[in-house]
Amino acid sequence: MNLTSDRVRSIGWISVLLICGALTIGLTLRVNAVKSNVHDTEKRIMWVQQEIDFLQTEFQTRSNQQALRQINDLEFGYKAPIAAQYIEGERQLAALGVSAGPGAPPPIRYANADVPQSADTGSSLLAMVSPVAGATAAAIADAVPSAPTGRDPERAELARDAAALGKRLARIQVAEAGQQ
Amino acid sequence: MNTFAFPAGSAPTSVHNGRRQLINVRQRWLLEAKLRTLWILSVFVLVSLCALARITYLGATGLSPHRDSLAGGLIPDRGEIVDRNGVPLARDFRTYSLWFNPKAMTDGSPLIHSPAEVADGLLRIFPDLDREEVIAKLASGKAGYLRRSILPEDANKVHALGEPALEYPRETTRFYPQGSMAAHVLGYVDSYGKGQVGMEQAFDEQLKSMDGRTNPSVLSIDFRVQSALEDELNKGMSLSRAKGAAGVVLDAETGEVLALASLPAFDPNHVVPGDMMVSDAQARAGEVPHGFNRVTNQVYELGSTFKPITVAAALDAGTITSLGRRWPSSPLHVAGFTIHDSHQMGASMNVPETLIHSSNVVTAQIADELGGERLKQTMQDLGMNERPYIELPARGFPLWPSGKWPRLRTMTVSYGHGIAVTPLHLASAYAALVNGGIWRPATLRKLDPSDVPAGRRVFKASTSARIRQLLRMIVSYGTGRKADAPGFRVGGKTGSAEKPGVGGYRRHSLIATFAAAFPMDKPRYVVIAMMDEPQGTEATSFQRTAAWNSAPVISRVVPRIGPLLGIMPDETRDIDISDLKPLVPGGASE
Repeated sequence: MNLTSDRVRSIGWISVLLICGALTIGLTLRVNAVKSNVHDTEKRIMWVQQEIDFLQTEFQTRSNQQALRQINDLEFGYKAPIAAQYIEGERQLAALGVSAGPGAPPPIRYANADVPQSADTGSSLLAMVSPVAGATAAAIADAVPSAPTGRDPERAELARDAAALGKRLARIQVAEAGQQ
Repeated sequence: MNTFAFPAGSAPTSVHNGRRQLINVRQRWLLEAKLRTLWILSVFVLVSLCALARITYLGATGLSPHRDSLAGGLIPDRGEIVDRNGVPLARDFRTYSLWFNPKAMTDGSPLIHSPAEVADGLLRIFPDLDREEVIAKLASGKAGYLRRSILPEDANKVHALGEPALEYPRETTRFYPQGSMAAHVLGYVDSYGKGQVGMEQAFDEQLKSMDGRTNPSVLSIDFRVQSALEDELNKGMSLSRAKGAAGVVLDAETGEVLALASLPAFDPNHVVPGDMMVSDAQARAGEVPHGFNRVTNQVYELGSTFKPITVAAALDAGTITSLGRRWPSSPLHVAGFTIHDSHQMGASMNVPETLIHSSNVVTAQIADELGGERLKQTMQDLGMNERPYIELPARGFPLWPSGKWPRLRTMTVSYGHGIAVTPLHLASAYAALVNGGIWRPATLRKLDPSDVPAGRRVFKASTSARIRQLLRMIVSYGTGRKADAPGFRVGGKTGSAEKPGVGGYRRHSLIATFAAAFPMDKPRYVVIAMMDEPQGTEATSFQRTAAWNSAPVISRVVPRIGPLLGIMPDETRDIDISDLKPLVPGGASE
């Protein structure tokens, strides 16, 4: 076969074109495959969304106010709380700790003793084993504080706030005792 | 390069010509090659331009039409209606229906078994089906629904019957998860997909628009408040064996309706023809269909609940300068008509006593001094001469005495007779009475604080403050004692009006209303409870009046809804009524 350089070049161009064409077809097929995957996923999302709507509606229907009322009437008999059951603010909460009247015994308070922690475990969480990590809860609890150091100031602040609340409540008690 | 062989024996003279020809051919070919290159280049440029255009389009819109069509599948045909906290009250829902398709079997009978056998099979799945009706439908050979909205497990059971003609297509229906709750507010959607009765009708266009389909329509209703109101009204209705009941909870500062109930209600999921119309005989007996909204559509003479309005108008006009002034309370004879009280409470009364004991006689005298023109103007300012302001399509026109009010008309209107309005009119009027004197239209749309209408001033702020004291006194010492809810500082007024019948008023058919507001030291909510024809029962101490029927409903509703609306009970707080206490005997002794 007489292969002139011109013919070789033509063949070269044609093969380049063929390769490009094949690549284009391959790419198009790939794109279409991905597209139909996306389409399928979207369809699944839509189906799941419809199922979610369906279940939401079912929950709302089963738990509608009339059904809840009937269950309450039949089973529990809960009633709306009366005025005396509400506490509005710290002042009212603090007033609950005040003696009923002058000379009355102080209200009974519940307390729990501080149990000294055992030296080896440091906590009673030893018995709890995390189903995920397989480690004991005590080990996890020990590991956690070392990692986020940024939360320590936050905790300290919370503790400070709590202490301040205790002081404020004490002040209110003193003030109200003065009035009595 | 191309090489050419000259044929042997060719003359040298032709060489020049041949070379010229060759040059021409070469030039032609070159030109052609250039043209072809240009063509290919232009094709590439065109393709590149197309790609660029596509990339730009995708970049600009971010979506392809293909994606749009899928996303459209998630948008319901009709938008959702939610309450003020976003809880769905009406939504599109795809359910199975039981459809008989006789053409499913191409040859022979449409059914494998006999119609009776199929009907028995269906009856085992749906015991409430009418057997004869189903047999008739199956035997007729006509396609049609056998039942709408069936459960998926029931659809499976139908499938197990093995009848190809029994199909269960999944169809979109309008569903109301809360059942009959707020049925009159929501309405329903008919089989043509058109909203009827309530907000489904009022919002019909909006719910079908693209904006309404993608964004839910938010109502001012709070479904917890609505539930509490309906529950207590229902209890009150069964205790007093009333024919019907109505109630509304209105935000006194904005005009938003937080709950609106009309009982008996209907289930918008299963509307039957009887819900929307009554027979002629029932209509003559004064019955109204369950779909009829008693709060916005039915007008009633609301009786003594009008007395605080009359007193407020007189205080505002300056015809009452001293609340301690006493009027005689003996029956009043005007234009051949006698105005009297249900109970005689002494020879004379002052203003607080008038309201506490609900005296028609003294209120009529106060109105007489005020004059018909000014009372009429006040009523007009409160919107009593036009349909109530609300989005609902069913709004009743008041029975409004037009023209100049004669003396007797002025007197009867002052205690709520001779004028008939809807309970919603009353709620809006009470909101104006207690909120500092501003009347605002009621609305079922949730309002942004910036959208609250300015309203119009009807009463002076000082008048409103006095009325707040007086309403609280009615509940503390008067006919409204049974409406009191400890810690919630309820104030309000009873109203028991006889219903008009053939040849005058019917003495034993009453409309018992209680109009209340709370907390009276800073009123936020107006609550109206109304009973239609309560019967004296043991539970109501054989009384038909509002004090025994409607007032207890208020005392049960307020503690339930108050905390939900951010009003915490506080028994250490109340409106200051110390300046008025000495004017009433019970108050003076405290």
